[in-house]
Amino acid sequence: MQNSFYKWVPDWRGWVLPILVILAWDAMSRLDANHAYAFASLGQIWDGVVGLCQSGELLVNVHASVQRALTGLLLGASAGFLVGSLVAVSRTANILITPIYHAIRQVPLLGLVPLFALWFGNGDTSKLIVVSLSAFYPVVLSTFEGMWQVDRKFNEVGQVYRLSRWQIYRRITLPAALPQVFTGFSLALAFAWLATIGSELLFTAGAGLGNLMMNAQEASRMDVLIIVTFVIGVLGYLMSLLIKLASAHLFKWRQVH
Amino acid sequence: MTRDWKQFLLFLISPLLLLLVWWWVAAAGWYSDDILVSPAAVWATLEELIANGELALHLKASFFRLLTGFGLGAVAGVLFGIWMAISPRVEAFALPLFQGLRQVPTIALIPILILLLGVDEIFKVIIVTKAAFLTVALAAYDATKGVSKNYFEVARIYHLPKTTLYRKLIVPAITPPVFTGLRIAFSRSWTILVAAELLAADSGIGQMMQLGREMFRLDVVMVGVVITGLVGFSIDKLFKWAEIRLIPWPAAAKA
Repeated sequence: MQNSFYKWVPDWRGWVLPILVILAWDAMSRLDANHAYAFASLGQIWDGVVGLCQSGELLVNVHASVQRALTGLLLGASAGFLVGSLVAVSRTANILITPIYHAIRQVPLLGLVPLFALWFGNGDTSKLIVVSLSAFYPVVLSTFEGMWQVDRKFNEVGQVYRLSRWQIYRRITLPAALPQVFTGFSLALAFAWLATIGSELLFTAGAGLGNLMMNAQEASRMDVLIIVTFVIGVLGYLMSLLIKLASAHLFKWRQVH
Repeated sequence: MTRDWKQFLLFLISPLLLLLVWWWVAAAGWYSDDILVSPAAVWATLEELIANGELALHLKASFFRLLTGFGLGAVAGVLFGIWMAISPRVEAFALPLFQGLRQVPTIALIPILILLLGVDEIFKVIIVTKAAFLTVALAAYDATKGVSKNYFEVARIYHLPKTTLYRKLIVPAITPPVFTGLRIAFSRSWTILVAAELLAADSGIGQMMQLGREMFRLDVVMVGVVITGLVGFSIDKLFKWAEIRLIPWPAAAKA
Protein backbone atom coordinates (compact mmCIF):
# COMPACT_ATOMS: atom_id res chain seq x y z
CA MET A 1 0.00 0.00 0.00
CA GLN A 2 2.70 2.39 1.00
CA ASN A 3 4.64 1.70 -2.16
CA SER A 4 1.72 2.45 -4.43
CA PHE A 5 1.15 5.68 -2.52
CA TYR A 6 4.72 6.83 -3.06
CA LYS A 7 4.40 6.00 -6.73
CA TRP A 8 1.84 8.76 -7.08
CA VAL A 9 3.98 11.40 -5.40
CA PRO A 10 6.25 12.67 -8.15
CA ASP A 11 9.94 12.82 -7.37
CA TRP A 12 10.85 16.48 -6.80
CA ARG A 13 14.08 16.01 -8.75
CA GLY A 14 12.09 15.56 -11.95
CA TRP A 15 10.83 19.13 -11.68
CA VAL A 16 14.25 20.77 -11.37
CA LEU A 17 15.25 20.74 -15.05
CA PRO A 18 11.91 21.84 -16.50
CA ILE A 19 11.71 24.71 -14.00
CA LEU A 20 15.30 25.72 -14.74
CA VAL A 21 14.55 25.74 -18.47
CA ILE A 22 11.50 27.93 -17.90
CA LEU A 23 13.42 30.34 -15.64
CA ALA A 24 16.30 30.57 -18.11
CA TRP A 25 13.84 31.27 -20.88
CA ASP A 26 12.18 34.01 -18.86
CA ALA A 27 15.58 35.50 -17.96
CA MET A 28 16.55 35.59 -21.64
CA SER A 29 13.42 37.50 -22.48
CA ARG A 30 14.33 40.18 -19.93
CA LEU A 31 17.90 40.76 -21.14
CA ASP A 32 17.24 43.54 -23.64
CA ALA A 33 14.81 44.62 -26.34
CA ASN A 34 16.26 42.24 -28.90
CA HIS A 35 15.86 39.26 -26.62
CA ALA A 36 12.42 40.36 -25.52
CA TYR A 37 11.47 40.15 -29.18
CA ALA A 38 12.86 36.66 -29.73
CA PHE A 39 11.93 35.10 -26.36
CA ALA A 40 8.48 35.64 -24.92
CA SER A 41 8.41 36.27 -21.15
CA LEU A 42 6.15 34.24 -18.88
CA GLY A 43 3.85 37.26 -18.53
CA GLN A 44 3.55 37.57 -22.30
CA ILE A 45 2.82 33.86 -22.62
CA TRP A 46 0.07 34.13 -20.01
CA ASP A 47 -1.41 37.13 -21.83
CA GLY A 48 -1.24 35.05 -24.99
CA VAL A 49 -3.21 32.23 -23.35
CA VAL A 50 -5.90 34.68 -22.22
CA GLY A 51 -6.00 36.31 -25.66
CA LEU A 52 -6.21 33.04 -27.58
CA CYS A 53 -8.95 31.72 -25.31
CA GLN A 54 -11.01 34.90 -25.34
CA SER A 55 -10.90 35.28 -29.10
CA GLY A 56 -11.88 31.64 -29.46
CA GLU A 57 -8.93 31.16 -31.83
CA LEU A 58 -7.46 28.31 -29.82
CA LEU A 59 -10.72 26.42 -29.62
CA VAL A 60 -11.45 26.76 -33.35
CA ASN A 61 -8.02 25.49 -34.33
CA VAL A 62 -7.90 22.71 -31.74
CA HIS A 63 -11.26 21.56 -33.02
CA ALA A 64 -10.08 21.65 -36.64
CA SER A 65 -6.90 19.71 -35.88
CA VAL A 66 -8.45 17.06 -33.66
CA GLN A 67 -11.27 16.54 -36.11
CA ARG A 68 -8.80 16.19 -38.96
CA ALA A 69 -6.65 13.72 -37.03
CA LEU A 70 -9.64 11.55 -36.07
CA THR A 71 -11.26 11.64 -39.53
CA GLY A 72 -7.96 10.76 -41.16
CA LEU A 73 -7.37 8.03 -38.59
CA LEU A 74 -10.78 6.53 -39.26
CA LEU A 75 -10.42 6.65 -43.06
CA GLY A 76 -6.81 5.50 -43.15
CA ALA A 77 -7.20 2.77 -40.55
CA SER A 78 -10.34 1.34 -42.18
CA ALA A 79 -8.68 1.26 -45.57
CA GLY A 80 -5.55 -0.18 -43.97
CA PHE A 81 -7.56 -2.89 -42.25
CA LEU A 82 -9.27 -3.88 -45.51
CA VAL A 83 -6.05 -3.94 -47.52
CA GLY A 84 -4.15 -5.74 -44.76
CA SER A 85 -6.86 -8.41 -44.50
CA LEU A 86 -6.98 -8.86 -48.25
CA VAL A 87 -3.21 -9.28 -48.51
CA ALA A 88 -3.19 -11.77 -45.63
CA VAL A 89 -6.03 -13.87 -46.98
CA SER A 90 -5.39 -13.85 -50.73
CA ARG A 91 -2.12 -14.76 -52.37
CA THR A 92 -3.00 -12.90 -55.56
CA ALA A 93 -3.67 -9.73 -53.60
CA ASN A 94 -0.38 -10.21 -51.78
CA ILE A 95 1.56 -10.43 -55.03
CA LEU A 96 -0.18 -7.42 -56.57
CA ILE A 97 -0.40 -5.06 -53.59
CA THR A 98 2.71 -5.72 -51.48
CA PRO A 99 5.36 -4.37 -53.90
CA ILE A 100 3.44 -1.14 -54.56
CA TYR A 101 2.73 -0.68 -50.86
CA HIS A 102 6.41 -1.00 -49.96
CA ALA A 103 7.54 1.22 -52.83
CA ILE A 104 5.22 4.08 -51.91
CA ARG A 105 5.97 3.73 -48.21
CA GLN A 106 9.63 4.58 -48.83
CA VAL A 107 8.82 8.20 -49.59
CA PRO A 108 8.81 10.31 -46.41
CA LEU A 109 5.15 11.22 -45.94
CA LEU A 110 5.73 14.96 -45.89
CA GLY A 111 7.85 14.62 -49.05
CA LEU A 112 4.57 13.89 -50.82
CA VAL A 113 3.24 17.32 -49.83
CA PRO A 114 4.36 19.17 -53.00
CA LEU A 115 2.84 16.44 -55.15
CA PHE A 116 -0.50 16.53 -53.32
CA ALA A 117 -0.45 20.32 -53.44
CA LEU A 118 -0.38 20.19 -57.25
CA TRP A 119 -2.99 17.45 -57.43
CA PHE A 120 -5.47 18.32 -54.70
CA GLY A 121 -4.76 21.95 -53.85
CA ASN A 122 -3.41 23.66 -50.79
CA GLY A 123 -6.22 23.00 -48.30
CA ASP A 124 -8.28 20.47 -46.39
CA THR A 125 -8.40 17.73 -49.05
CA SER A 126 -4.62 17.46 -49.25
CA LYS A 127 -4.26 17.57 -45.47
CA LEU A 128 -6.81 14.80 -45.02
CA ILE A 129 -5.06 12.61 -47.59
CA VAL A 130 -1.70 13.01 -45.84
CA VAL A 131 -3.23 12.19 -42.44
CA SER A 132 -5.15 9.20 -43.82
CA LEU A 133 -2.02 7.84 -45.47
CA SER A 134 -0.07 8.18 -42.24
CA ALA A 135 -2.68 6.05 -40.47
CA PHE A 136 -3.00 3.65 -43.41
CA TYR A 137 0.61 2.39 -43.46
CA PRO A 138 0.93 0.96 -39.93
CA VAL A 139 -2.54 -0.59 -39.91
CA VAL A 140 -1.89 -2.47 -43.16
CA LEU A 141 1.30 -3.87 -41.72
CA SER A 142 -0.08 -4.86 -38.31
CA THR A 143 -3.26 -6.34 -39.78
CA PHE A 144 -1.27 -8.39 -42.25
CA GLU A 145 1.24 -9.59 -39.66
CA GLY A 146 -1.44 -10.31 -37.09
CA MET A 147 -3.41 -12.45 -39.50
CA TRP A 148 -0.36 -14.08 -41.03
CA GLN A 149 0.84 -15.28 -37.66
CA VAL A 150 -2.41 -16.96 -36.68
CA ASP A 151 -1.61 -20.56 -35.93
CA ARG A 152 -2.23 -22.76 -38.98
CA LYS A 153 -3.74 -25.37 -36.66
CA PHE A 154 -6.65 -23.04 -35.96
CA ASN A 155 -7.36 -22.77 -39.68
CA GLU A 156 -7.17 -26.53 -40.01
CA VAL A 157 -9.76 -26.91 -37.28
CA GLY A 158 -11.95 -24.59 -39.31
CA GLN A 159 -11.46 -26.70 -42.40
CA VAL A 160 -12.29 -29.87 -40.50
CA TYR A 161 -15.54 -28.23 -39.46
CA ARG A 162 -16.11 -27.33 -43.12
CA LEU A 163 -16.33 -23.62 -42.46
CA SER A 164 -16.36 -21.40 -45.54
CA ARG A 165 -13.42 -19.04 -46.20
CA TRP A 166 -15.48 -16.15 -44.90
CA GLN A 167 -16.40 -18.06 -41.76
CA ILE A 168 -12.76 -18.96 -41.12
CA TYR A 169 -11.84 -15.30 -41.51
CA ARG A 170 -14.69 -14.05 -39.36
CA ARG A 171 -14.51 -16.68 -36.58
CA ILE A 172 -10.81 -17.59 -36.47
CA THR A 173 -8.41 -15.24 -38.26
CA LEU A 174 -9.97 -11.94 -37.25
CA PRO A 175 -10.40 -12.57 -33.50
CA ALA A 176 -6.91 -14.03 -33.23
CA ALA A 177 -5.35 -11.07 -35.01
CA LEU A 178 -7.39 -8.37 -33.29
CA PRO A 179 -4.92 -7.44 -30.53
CA GLN A 180 -2.16 -6.83 -33.05
CA VAL A 181 -4.50 -4.92 -35.33
CA PHE A 182 -5.19 -2.68 -32.37
CA THR A 183 -1.47 -2.19 -31.74
CA GLY A 184 -1.20 -0.91 -35.29
CA PHE A 185 -4.20 1.32 -34.66
CA SER A 186 -2.57 2.97 -31.66
CA LEU A 187 0.60 3.52 -33.70
CA ALA A 188 -1.60 4.99 -36.43
CA LEU A 189 -3.03 7.49 -33.95
CA ALA A 190 0.43 8.81 -33.08
CA PHE A 191 1.35 9.07 -36.76
CA ALA A 192 -1.97 10.71 -37.62
CA TRP A 193 -1.42 13.41 -35.01
CA LEU A 194 2.10 14.07 -36.28
CA ALA A 195 0.85 14.16 -39.88
CA THR A 196 -1.95 16.52 -38.90
CA ILE A 197 0.45 19.08 -37.49
CA GLY A 198 2.96 18.55 -40.31
CA SER A 199 0.40 18.88 -43.07
CA GLU A 200 -1.06 21.99 -41.45
CA LEU A 201 2.38 23.57 -41.38
CA LEU A 202 2.95 22.79 -45.06
CA PHE A 203 -0.51 23.34 -46.56
CA THR A 204 -1.21 26.94 -45.76
CA ALA A 205 -4.95 27.15 -46.44
CA GLY A 206 -7.60 26.52 -43.77
CA ALA A 207 -7.72 26.19 -39.99
CA GLY A 208 -5.67 24.04 -37.61
CA LEU A 209 -3.02 24.30 -34.92
CA GLY A 210 -0.27 24.05 -37.53
CA ASN A 211 -1.78 26.92 -39.49
CA LEU A 212 -2.09 28.95 -36.31
CA MET A 213 1.62 28.33 -35.74
CA MET A 214 2.62 29.39 -39.24
CA ASN A 215 0.66 32.63 -38.88
CA ALA A 216 2.24 33.22 -35.47
CA GLN A 217 5.69 32.60 -36.93
CA GLU A 218 5.12 35.16 -39.67
CA ALA A 219 3.88 37.66 -37.09
CA SER A 220 6.85 36.81 -34.80
CA ARG A 221 4.50 35.85 -31.97
CA MET A 222 6.73 33.58 -29.87
CA ASP A 223 4.14 33.49 -27.07
CA VAL A 224 1.54 31.96 -29.39
CA LEU A 225 4.08 29.44 -30.73
CA ILE A 226 4.99 28.27 -27.22
CA ILE A 227 1.36 27.89 -26.21
CA VAL A 228 0.37 26.00 -29.34
CA THR A 229 3.38 23.66 -29.12
CA PHE A 230 2.42 22.90 -25.53
CA VAL A 231 -1.20 22.26 -26.50
CA ILE A 232 -0.07 19.93 -29.32
CA GLY A 233 2.00 17.91 -26.84
CA VAL A 234 -0.81 17.67 -24.30
CA LEU A 235 -3.42 16.69 -26.89
CA GLY A 236 -1.12 14.04 -28.35
CA TYR A 237 -0.49 12.65 -24.87
CA LEU A 238 -4.20 12.57 -24.00
CA MET A 239 -5.11 10.78 -27.21
CA SER A 240 -2.44 8.11 -26.73
CA LEU A 241 -3.56 7.68 -23.12
CA LEU A 242 -7.14 7.18 -24.29
CA ILE A 243 -6.04 4.49 -26.74
CA LYS A 244 -3.98 2.77 -24.05
CA LEU A 245 -6.95 2.66 -21.68
CA ALA A 246 -9.23 1.41 -24.44
CA SER A 247 -6.75 -1.30 -25.35
CA ALA A 248 -6.42 -2.46 -21.75
CA HIS A 249 -10.21 -2.58 -21.48
CA LEU A 250 -10.87 -4.31 -24.82
CA PHE A 251 -8.24 -6.99 -24.51
CA LYS A 252 -8.73 -8.00 -20.89
CA TRP A 253 -9.59 -11.48 -22.10
CA ARG A 254 -6.14 -11.86 -23.56
CA GLN A 255 -4.35 -11.78 -20.23
CA VAL A 256 -6.13 -14.96 -19.15
CA HIS A 257 -3.80 -17.04 -21.31
CA MET B 1 17.24 -19.81 -55.47
CA THR B 2 14.78 -20.46 -58.29
CA ARG B 3 11.90 -19.97 -55.88
CA ASP B 4 13.27 -16.61 -54.82
CA TRP B 5 13.58 -15.60 -58.46
CA LYS B 6 10.02 -16.65 -59.18
CA GLN B 7 8.81 -14.67 -56.19
CA PHE B 8 10.83 -11.65 -57.32
CA LEU B 9 9.42 -11.78 -60.85
CA LEU B 10 5.87 -12.12 -59.53
CA PHE B 11 6.40 -9.04 -57.37
CA LEU B 12 7.41 -7.10 -60.48
CA ILE B 13 4.02 -7.58 -62.15
CA SER B 14 2.03 -4.86 -60.41
CA PRO B 15 4.69 -2.12 -60.46
CA LEU B 16 5.18 -2.70 -64.18
CA LEU B 17 1.41 -2.68 -64.70
CA LEU B 18 1.18 0.58 -62.79
CA LEU B 19 3.95 2.09 -64.88
CA LEU B 20 2.19 0.97 -68.04
CA VAL B 21 -1.14 2.46 -66.97
CA TRP B 22 0.59 5.69 -65.98
CA TRP B 23 2.36 5.88 -69.33
CA TRP B 24 -0.81 5.07 -71.23
CA VAL B 25 -3.03 7.57 -69.39
CA ALA B 26 -0.40 10.29 -69.82
CA ALA B 27 -0.09 9.51 -73.53
CA ALA B 28 -3.88 9.67 -73.94
CA GLY B 29 -3.64 13.35 -73.03
CA TRP B 30 -6.68 13.49 -70.73
CA TYR B 31 -4.90 15.60 -68.16
CA SER B 32 -2.80 18.74 -68.47
CA ASP B 33 0.93 18.73 -67.76
CA ASP B 34 0.64 20.14 -64.25
CA ILE B 35 -1.65 17.26 -63.24
CA LEU B 36 -0.01 14.34 -64.96
CA VAL B 37 3.29 14.00 -66.77
CA SER B 38 4.42 10.86 -68.54
CA PRO B 39 7.12 8.63 -67.03
CA ALA B 40 9.29 9.55 -70.02
CA ALA B 41 9.06 13.26 -69.16
CA VAL B 42 10.00 12.54 -65.53
CA TRP B 43 12.96 10.52 -66.74
CA ALA B 44 14.02 13.33 -69.10
CA THR B 45 13.83 15.84 -66.24
CA LEU B 46 15.89 13.53 -64.06
CA GLU B 47 18.57 13.32 -66.76
CA GLU B 48 18.52 17.07 -67.17
CA LEU B 49 18.85 17.67 -63.43
CA ILE B 50 21.76 15.25 -63.30
CA ALA B 51 23.45 16.73 -66.37
CA ASN B 52 23.33 20.35 -65.19
CA GLY B 53 24.53 19.33 -61.74
CA GLU B 54 21.49 20.73 -59.96
CA LEU B 55 20.49 17.44 -58.40
CA ALA B 56 24.00 16.80 -57.10
CA LEU B 57 24.04 20.28 -55.57
CA HIS B 58 20.73 19.74 -53.75
CA LEU B 59 21.67 16.26 -52.60
CA LYS B 60 25.00 17.53 -51.29
CA ALA B 61 23.29 20.25 -49.28
CA SER B 62 20.75 17.79 -47.87
CA PHE B 63 23.33 15.14 -47.03
CA PHE B 64 25.57 17.64 -45.28
CA ARG B 65 22.71 18.67 -42.98
CA LEU B 66 21.56 15.10 -42.49
CA LEU B 67 24.97 13.69 -41.62
CA THR B 68 26.05 16.59 -39.39
CA GLY B 69 22.76 16.71 -37.51
CA PHE B 70 22.41 12.96 -37.21
CA GLY B 71 26.06 12.49 -36.22
CA LEU B 72 25.83 15.02 -33.41
CA GLY B 73 22.46 13.81 -32.21
CA ALA B 74 23.30 10.10 -32.36
CA VAL B 75 26.61 10.31 -30.50
CA ALA B 76 25.17 12.56 -27.80
CA GLY B 77 22.05 10.39 -27.67
CA VAL B 78 23.87 7.10 -27.13
CA LEU B 79 26.08 8.56 -24.41
CA PHE B 80 23.28 10.36 -22.62
CA GLY B 81 20.90 7.41 -22.91
CA ILE B 82 23.37 5.05 -21.25
CA TRP B 83 24.22 7.61 -18.58
CA MET B 84 20.57 8.13 -17.76
CA ALA B 85 20.02 4.37 -17.44
CA ILE B 86 23.07 3.74 -15.25
CA SER B 87 22.90 6.67 -12.87
CA PRO B 88 19.73 6.81 -10.77
CA ARG B 89 20.43 10.48 -10.06
CA VAL B 90 20.60 11.50 -13.72
CA GLU B 91 17.50 9.43 -14.35
CA ALA B 92 15.55 11.16 -11.59
CA PHE B 93 16.50 14.60 -12.85
CA ALA B 94 16.33 14.14 -16.63
CA LEU B 95 13.81 11.41 -17.43
CA PRO B 96 10.64 13.42 -16.73
CA LEU B 97 11.83 16.22 -19.01
CA PHE B 98 12.62 13.62 -21.66
CA GLN B 99 9.20 12.02 -21.40
CA GLY B 100 7.63 15.44 -21.66
CA LEU B 101 9.66 16.47 -24.71
CA ARG B 102 8.79 13.20 -26.37
CA GLN B 103 5.13 14.19 -26.49
CA VAL B 104 5.84 17.08 -28.85
CA PRO B 105 6.38 16.00 -32.45
CA THR B 106 9.70 17.41 -33.71
CA ILE B 107 7.95 18.96 -36.66
CA ALA B 108 5.90 21.15 -34.32
CA LEU B 109 9.16 22.74 -33.13
CA ILE B 110 10.02 24.01 -36.62
CA PRO B 111 8.21 27.38 -36.29
CA ILE B 112 9.81 28.11 -32.90
CA LEU B 113 13.26 27.24 -34.20
CA ILE B 114 12.79 29.39 -37.30
CA LEU B 115 11.84 32.33 -35.10
CA LEU B 116 14.83 31.77 -32.82
CA LEU B 117 17.51 30.83 -35.34
CA GLY B 118 16.26 32.15 -38.65
CA VAL B 119 16.12 29.95 -41.74
CA ASP B 120 19.88 29.50 -42.04
CA GLU B 121 21.89 26.30 -42.11
CA ILE B 122 22.05 26.08 -38.32
CA PHE B 123 18.27 25.72 -38.03
CA LYS B 124 18.18 22.68 -40.31
CA VAL B 125 21.13 21.01 -38.60
CA ILE B 126 19.62 21.59 -35.15
CA ILE B 127 16.20 20.22 -36.03
CA VAL B 128 17.83 17.05 -37.37
CA THR B 129 20.06 16.84 -34.29
CA LYS B 130 17.05 17.11 -32.03
CA ALA B 131 15.12 14.42 -33.90
CA ALA B 132 18.10 12.05 -33.79
CA PHE B 133 19.12 12.80 -30.20
CA LEU B 134 15.76 12.13 -28.59
CA THR B 135 15.10 8.91 -30.51
CA VAL B 136 18.59 7.50 -29.97
CA ALA B 137 18.80 8.55 -26.31
CA LEU B 138 15.52 6.81 -25.50
CA ALA B 139 16.59 3.69 -27.42
CA ALA B 140 19.92 3.58 -25.57
CA TYR B 141 18.15 4.20 -22.26
CA ASP B 142 15.60 1.43 -22.82
CA ALA B 143 18.30 -0.95 -24.04
CA THR B 144 20.54 -0.39 -21.02
CA LYS B 145 17.59 -0.66 -18.65
CA GLY B 146 16.70 -3.91 -20.37
CA VAL B 147 20.02 -5.60 -19.57
CA SER B 148 19.22 -8.32 -17.06
CA LYS B 149 19.96 -7.42 -13.44
CA ASN B 150 21.52 -10.84 -13.02
CA TYR B 151 24.41 -9.90 -15.26
CA PHE B 152 25.14 -6.83 -13.15
CA GLU B 153 25.05 -8.93 -10.00
CA VAL B 154 27.48 -11.44 -11.45
CA ALA B 155 29.74 -8.56 -12.45
CA ARG B 156 29.57 -7.18 -8.92
CA ILE B 157 30.32 -10.49 -7.30
CA TYR B 158 33.38 -10.90 -9.49
CA HIS B 159 34.45 -7.32 -8.73
CA LEU B 160 34.61 -6.57 -12.42
CA PRO B 161 36.38 -3.27 -13.11
CA LYS B 162 34.21 -0.51 -14.59
CA THR B 163 35.91 -0.60 -17.99
CA THR B 164 35.46 -4.35 -18.31
CA LEU B 165 31.85 -3.98 -17.23
CA TYR B 166 31.27 -1.57 -20.09
CA ARG B 167 33.32 -3.43 -22.68
CA LYS B 168 32.19 -6.96 -21.92
CA LEU B 169 28.65 -6.48 -20.69
CA ILE B 170 26.91 -3.21 -21.45
CA VAL B 171 28.20 -2.48 -24.94
CA PRO B 172 27.61 -5.95 -26.39
CA ALA B 173 24.21 -6.24 -24.71
CA ILE B 174 22.83 -2.93 -25.93
CA THR B 175 24.39 -2.75 -29.39
CA PRO B 176 21.60 -4.61 -31.27
CA PRO B 177 18.68 -2.54 -29.88
CA VAL B 178 20.66 0.69 -30.09
CA PHE B 179 21.41 -0.04 -33.72
CA THR B 180 17.70 -0.46 -34.38
CA GLY B 181 17.19 2.89 -32.64
CA LEU B 182 19.81 4.47 -34.88
CA ARG B 183 18.09 3.15 -37.97
CA ILE B 184 14.72 4.53 -36.89
CA ALA B 185 16.35 7.82 -35.89
CA PHE B 186 17.99 8.13 -39.29
CA SER B 187 14.75 7.69 -41.18
CA ARG B 188 13.04 10.19 -38.86
CA SER B 189 15.90 12.62 -39.40
CA TRP B 190 15.50 12.31 -43.14
CA THR B 191 11.75 12.94 -42.96
CA ILE B 192 12.13 15.96 -40.71
CA LEU B 193 14.89 17.39 -42.89
CA VAL B 194 12.79 17.12 -46.03
CA ALA B 195 9.92 18.84 -44.20
CA ALA B 196 12.22 21.60 -42.92
CA GLU B 197 13.60 22.13 -46.42
CA LEU B 198 10.09 22.35 -47.82
CA LEU B 199 9.34 25.12 -45.33
CA ALA B 200 12.54 27.14 -45.41
CA ALA B 201 15.67 26.57 -47.43
CA ASP B 202 17.68 27.91 -50.32
CA SER B 203 18.95 24.49 -51.35
CA GLY B 204 18.32 20.82 -50.70
CA ILE B 205 16.07 18.17 -52.15
CA GLY B 206 13.04 19.50 -50.23
CA GLN B 207 13.61 23.00 -51.55
CA MET B 208 13.89 21.63 -55.08
CA MET B 209 10.43 20.07 -54.69
CA GLN B 210 9.02 23.21 -53.12
CA LEU B 211 10.27 25.27 -56.06
CA GLY B 212 8.76 22.73 -58.43
CA ARG B 213 5.46 23.07 -56.59
CA GLU B 214 5.51 26.85 -56.86
CA MET B 215 6.33 26.78 -60.57
CA PHE B 216 3.80 24.00 -61.30
CA ARG B 217 6.63 21.76 -62.53
CA LEU B 218 5.11 18.39 -61.73
CA ASP B 219 8.05 16.61 -63.39
CA VAL B 220 10.52 18.22 -60.96
CA VAL B 221 8.28 17.35 -58.01
CA MET B 222 8.02 13.74 -59.20
CA VAL B 223 11.79 13.47 -59.51
CA GLY B 224 12.07 14.82 -55.95
CA VAL B 225 9.54 12.31 -54.63
CA VAL B 226 11.37 9.40 -56.26
CA ILE B 227 14.76 10.61 -55.04
CA THR B 228 13.63 11.12 -51.43
CA GLY B 229 12.09 7.67 -51.53
CA LEU B 230 15.26 6.13 -52.93
CA VAL B 231 17.47 7.88 -50.38
CA GLY B 232 15.28 6.74 -47.48
CA PHE B 233 15.14 3.21 -48.83
CA SER B 234 18.90 2.94 -49.46
CA ILE B 235 19.81 4.26 -46.03
CA ASP B 236 17.42 1.84 -44.37
CA LYS B 237 18.87 -1.07 -46.33
CA LEU B 238 22.41 0.10 -45.55
CA PHE B 239 21.66 0.08 -41.83
CA LYS B 240 20.11 -3.38 -42.02
CA TRP B 241 23.09 -4.67 -43.99
CA ALA B 242 25.56 -3.15 -41.54
CA GLU B 243 23.58 -4.57 -38.64
CA ILE B 244 24.09 -8.10 -39.93
CA ARG B 245 27.76 -7.52 -40.73
CA LEU B 246 28.82 -5.64 -37.63
CA ILE B 247 26.79 -7.42 -34.99
CA PRO B 248 27.25 -11.16 -35.34
CA TRP B 249 25.83 -11.90 -31.92
CA PRO B 250 22.06 -12.01 -31.30
CA ALA B 251 20.16 -9.67 -28.97
CA ALA B 252 20.70 -10.57 -25.30
CA ALA B 253 17.99 -12.01 -23.10
CA LYS B 254 15.79 -9.36 -21.58
CA ALA B 255 15.48 -8.72 -17.84
